[in-house]
Amino acid sequence: MSMKAFGPQFLERIYREKVVLSLSSVLGFIFCWYLITDVLGLIPALFLPSPEKVFFTIYEKIFIPVGQSTLFGHVGVSLLRILVGTTIALCLAIPLGILMGWYEDLDSVMTPIIEVLRPIPPIAWIPLAILWFGIGLGSKVFIIGIGVFFPTLINTYMGVKFVDPILIKAAQTLGAKDKDVLREVILPASVPLIVAGIRIGIGLGMMCLVAAEMVAASSGLGFLIMLGGDNLKPELSITGMILIGIMGLLADTLILAVEKKVVYWKKESQNG
Amino acid sequence: MTEDAPKTLLYENGAEGKICLTNILGNLMVETRKIRSRKRVILSVLSVIVVLGGWFVLTTVLRWVPPAFLPPPQNILTDFFRLLNKSYVGHTLIGHTLVSLQIVLGGFFLAVLIGIPLGIMMGWFKRIEAIVDPMFQLLRPIPPLAWIPLSLLWFGIGISSKIFVIWLSAFVPCVINAYTGIRLTEPLLVKAALGLGVKRQWDLLREVAIPSALPVILGGVRIGLGSAWMTLVAAELLASDAGLGYMMQMARRALEPSIIILGMLIIGILGAIMARGLQMLEKRICPWVMDKER
Amino acid sequence: MQQDKIFADHVSVAYEKDDESLLAVDDVTLSIQEGEFVVIVGPSGCGKTTFMNTLAGLVKPIRGKVFMDGKQITGPSAERGVVFQQFALFPWKTVFENVEFGLKYRGIPKDERREIVRKYIRMVKLEGFENSFPHELSGGMKQRVAIARVYANMPQILLMDEPFGALDAQTRTIMQEDLSEMFMMEKRTVVFITHSVDEAIYLGDRVIIMTARPGKFKKIINVTADCLIPNRRNLGYDDVVNLKAFRDLKRELWGLIKAEIVEKRIL
Ligand SMILES: Nc1ncnc2c1ncn2[C@@H]1O[C@H](COP(=O)(O)OP(=O)(O)O)[C@@H](O)[C@H]1O
Ligand SMILES: [Mg+2]
Repeated sequence: MSMKAFGPQFLERIYREKVVLSLSSVLGFIFCWYLITDVLGLIPALFLPSPEKVFFTIYEKIFIPVGQSTLFGHVGVSLLRILVGTTIALCLAIPLGILMGWYEDLDSVMTPIIEVLRPIPPIAWIPLAILWFGIGLGSKVFIIGIGVFFPTLINTYMGVKFVDPILIKAAQTLGAKDKDVLREVILPASVPLIVAGIRIGIGLGMMCLVAAEMVAASSGLGFLIMLGGDNLKPELSITGMILIGIMGLLADTLILAVEKKVVYWKKESQNG
Repeated sequence: MTEDAPKTLLYENGAEGKICLTNILGNLMVETRKIRSRKRVILSVLSVIVVLGGWFVLTTVLRWVPPAFLPPPQNILTDFFRLLNKSYVGHTLIGHTLVSLQIVLGGFFLAVLIGIPLGIMMGWFKRIEAIVDPMFQLLRPIPPLAWIPLSLLWFGIGISSKIFVIWLSAFVPCVINAYTGIRLTEPLLVKAALGLGVKRQWDLLREVAIPSALPVILGGVRIGLGSAWMTLVAAELLASDAGLGYMMQMARRALEPSIIILGMLIIGILGAIMARGLQMLEKRICPWVMDKER
Repeated sequence: MQQDKIFADHVSVAYEKDDESLLAVDDVTLSIQEGEFVVIVGPSGCGKTTFMNTLAGLVKPIRGKVFMDGKQITGPSAERGVVFQQFALFPWKTVFENVEFGLKYRGIPKDERREIVRKYIRMVKLEGFENSFPHELSGGMKQRVAIARVYANMPQILLMDEPFGALDAQTRTIMQEDLSEMFMMEKRTVVFITHSVDEAIYLGDRVIIMTARPGKFKKIINVTADCLIPNRRNLGYDDVVNLKAFRDLKRELWGLIKAEIVEKRIL
């Protein structure tokens, strides 16, 4: 909706100009990158490879293995780790969060423990995880799991705890029993927050994945990123960064789509 | 105690108040809440005792869990006091902590100083937004710690490479929140200010947009701080010769889990203290934000 | 002829919505004299707010012009103070600072500002709340602050857009009486929007009924000039409402508005 106003700039809309500016900004960025590396040679390829080189590295590594596998292999390994870690964390965090929000006693018992563990960044668990589970799948799943677990748990708990009491009262006076209230009111009402928690959690889990793979792994995108640095092949690092970025974007898009499906009854935020 | 309480209330109200049922009921409700909160404290304390006790019993009394896997809790304490003045892989505990703090705070403050003004400008000026935002959207999905190898390549293994990565990790939430906060400025308030005689854009920004965005901006600062701590640990685990992350990495190689856990606890506590400090600052800066919105 | 305080000359306003144009106000002409209390009533969505925003200078008409004292209105100005239905107080400023806001931009020195702010906080009966933040006040008190803020700014025209629309009926009645009293104390030109017929007749010297969208003027009733309800400003709300003259007028007005709603099916 637009409105012919005398207001400040940000009340108006300069749509076409925006598209042009945005496009030229991205193109300009890539062009400058190209210019300072390939054309003018201001920055040696050891520091920053040209976009061309990155592109060809990606293309090449689809067929030629790096380390133990090709690019697809590394993406697959990372994907597997994040899927397993996330699944386990969600299976634990969501029920625990609901129970903690519902049963006051459980809340009292769990809260102090969680409050001690929560401020520890999940990445700080890496050394211990390696000690406990070795450098295989186990330690990565554990760390990713920790990353996903806490935001999901906290949001689920808050979602259950802060359901509008009037809705609960309404259900009760309409004849709903405790378990009906949980199923019919509390769960649906807390879904938006739960999904938001999962979204934060998966973002964090991606970071944990990269960190864990960078510290100790022989496969995966984090390994690729680290290998590039160790072997002075920054194009390899950038390849890994691009792929992990794409993975993150896809994951986020997926969750947003799910959110739209599940929270269909909530008005979209007006400022998008 | 429980029985006395209603009488106290009647007594307090006695001078002029009526003895009415709602008063008594209300007081009983307050009383049950008190009981509930007392129960809560007891349960919480019990839970901590059980966890610590179980840990102690498993590792020290029954010795079912080998110390190389999970050290007894008292070992962590003794290690803490031991490392206070004895150096471990190059520094004492305090030395490592100071190295880490210096990097975190350096990167974090740089991020706040650059990120917030940039975000505000992006929110206020459509053209700046149009130019900067797409690049931001391109770089944002890449986890900041994935920049570590490139950063090492660019800045060497010293402090600057780590500050760069930490700056990056705190910078993104600072910019995004400042930008969102300004964009969410209530148009009605802008109209009100215009109608009261504000004419210059700058006054509008200063008096309306920035204060209304402030809670969101501070939220971004808080996220940035958490992000900075996390990235610091990763950077120190990967490439460092001092700092808490480095200490933990070395302890892992030497199979000394008690020092690892010590490092985790210190990182957690420092992070929590700084987050709490920020929260208190928020309360000072934005007294108009109600607690439930925080 | 004496110059009109406000003169809207064949004004039309439209919004652009997904490349479509939506006509909100259609060819409206109106002149308002100094010291007059003009009330605009109409079914919701008929363009009342839009028309008021045009007077305020917040919205630009697609056709026609609006003049104040013979000069064309081209943008918002402190000469025309607006009271919004949603209060629009700055939540980060105290009551005092909110009322002081406009004065600062008129370059009034600090001491003088304090005096003025005190005076208007007293006028809206909020002494003692100077240092409260808006979120600590009730709806009625918030709107009192908003009214004080605009009054203190000494605008020549007060534009009020359903100022009591968000208040409960009791608070509303009291606010109406207080506003009537303030209007008697400090004569200002007021344009007041409401969808309450009672409020319109109680407050307005002139009541304008708008048609459903696109808004036109359906009828203008000169309550004061035609002496339809004698001695109204010296009576309390309850007394006025019970006058026969009031009830007759109300019936007539409501008939007009109801016809609009039923005819155009805007329920
Ligand atoms: N900013 C806007 N953009 C598009 N349409 C609008 C906007 N504001 C109001 N409208 C439309 O214009 C018409 C008149 O609105 P408004 O003046 O707010 O009515 P009223 O105040 O009488 O209820 C309505 O149909 C409304 O949907
Ligand atoms: Mg309106």
